[in-house]
Amino acid sequence: MVAEFTETHDLVRVSGRGALVNFEVDDHAPLNDACRALREHLGRNRHLYASGEVIANIGARLLSESDQDRIRKVIESESGLHVKQFWCRPEILERESLRIARLMEEQAVVVGLPLPGEEPAVPLADETEEDDTVDDGPSPSVAPETCQPEPARTALEEPYRVPVDIERGNLRAGETRIFPGHAVILGNVNPGAQVIADGDVMVFGGLRGMVHAGASGDNTATILAMSIAYPVLRIADYSWHRDGPANAFGRQSNDGNGPTLARVSNGAIQVAPYLKPNSINQGGNPNER
Amino acid sequence: MSGKTIVMTSGKGGVGKTTATANVGTALALRSNRVAVIDTDIGLRNLDVVMGLENRIVYDLVDIVEGRCRLEQALIRDKHAGELYLIAAAQTRDKDCITTQQLVGLCERLEDDFDYVIVDCPAGIEQGFRNAIAAAQEALVVTTPEVSAIRDADRVIGLLQAAEIRDIRLIINRIKPEMVRQGNMMDASDVLEMLAVDAVGLVPSDDRVITSTNSGTPVVYDGQSASGREFVRIAARIDGEHIPLIDPLDEAPTSIMDKVRNIMGINRKASAHV
Repeated sequence: MVAEFTETHDLVRVSGRGALVNFEVDDHAPLNDACRALREHLGRNRHLYASGEVIANIGARLLSESDQDRIRKVIESESGLHVKQFWCRPEILERESLRIARLMEEQAVVVGLPLPGEEPAVPLADETEEDDTVDDGPSPSVAPETCQPEPARTALEEPYRVPVDIERGNLRAGETRIFPGHAVILGNVNPGAQVIADGDVMVFGGLRGMVHAGASGDNTATILAMSIAYPVLRIADYSWHRDGPANAFGRQSNDGNGPTLARVSNGAIQVAPYLKPNSINQGGNPNER
Repeated sequence: MSGKTIVMTSGKGGVGKTTATANVGTALALRSNRVAVIDTDIGLRNLDVVMGLENRIVYDLVDIVEGRCRLEQALIRDKHAGELYLIAAAQTRDKDCITTQQLVGLCERLEDDFDYVIVDCPAGIEQGFRNAIAAAQEALVVTTPEVSAIRDADRVIGLLQAAEIRDIRLIINRIKPEMVRQGNMMDASDVLEMLAVDAVGLVPSDDRVITSTNSGTPVVYDGQSASGREFVRIAARIDGEHIPLIDPLDEAPTSIMDKVRNIMGINRKASAHV
């Protein structure tokens, strides 16, 4: 019973605004599990969902129409709700648009068509005549093949390469947050809480729980916290912990330490004060790689 | 009358939930409120013993939800405070024999007749806990200044927030001023910094609580008891009165003369505020 409660609670979150109900499905759960959790939740709370409209928030997913229909059927068969729309994060749509645009460009290059928005070869040659370096430059006739918009595309994609997620508030005992990229925690990570991120982890508060940075194997990931009090730190496959002092008082306090940085060096996690003044006054931060 | 339901919870057992429920309930009733306290620790009932009502129980919580008695028949009137009533837990059943909906329905009925409905939650975070918090609009989390109790309180606060209970306040129980002064026990500020919720009371450790529990008379009736006085202040704060928190370190006697004055009932620091 406990497992079911926790699992369902983790996979589907419900919020409401006015007459609308918003079902938020966990990004990392397999669709089967999410549907099952949704069905269980609706079954348990049937009296709450007698009628009304609902927005299904599928977060970072991109679902096919058949998968959307599947979620729609679960909601509409288990309750009196009508699915008004599906919603996913705008950056996911944008990223997918970029991917499709790139595929189309590659297709266009293969078949020799002009790229979208690209001027024909002759006008391009006319424009470059005003440039001083054009005289001895390459022939304009080969420009379509050699002047691919590769750098611009990379710059557009770069911000999405490693996502950064912000968690606002304290993470309490028993809570686990999993991040696909870098993680920023605006609060404390209390004993018994877990943060797992594929990238770096920054804690703008006290770190007393477990943090795993570079969880997918990136041992260049770092952990930065405003203060630490005997947490468990993991970076990639390395781990670090230190037992607290014998008395109970010190085990929970911050011990007055300041910002602290953890990173992998010489085959182990090194934990040291984050020496910010060094980067300004003394020619570099010794913690920086 | 439209009262509110407050759940008294902690996660960890043995931190003083039941004692706090009996004393806060009594103190609220002494402030001319109509108060109902419900023991939801089915199978391990204790609240009736702390309140000295164990011999008066005929019907219990399970009898109400299973329709074997009317609500009024299971409400046991307190011996001392006239407007305080107890609904005892069943001793021979387990926590799965009532559902969340049944307890929510019961609390809603009680809210019509009482100013405060205080639910004494069982330890743990299983079905009994989920039942107890379902009907509550407010929560009082009881903890002691110990690492394990604080860890469990932190977990429970997270679950309460997930259950959309926004008004969560903390009672730090059994603070030993002498140990805090020696650096062997966390003080209230350490606990509050860790749990990040407001405190409604800082209760010092007090041997008189044991005596009062054994005699079935809540310690709020004992004017000499530091913990009893703090429970009275907690009730006043719950009732909307603005009373600053009093750190037990400031109230505890430090010198021999202070201790003598305390024994004689002349406690000069009793009204010191922080």
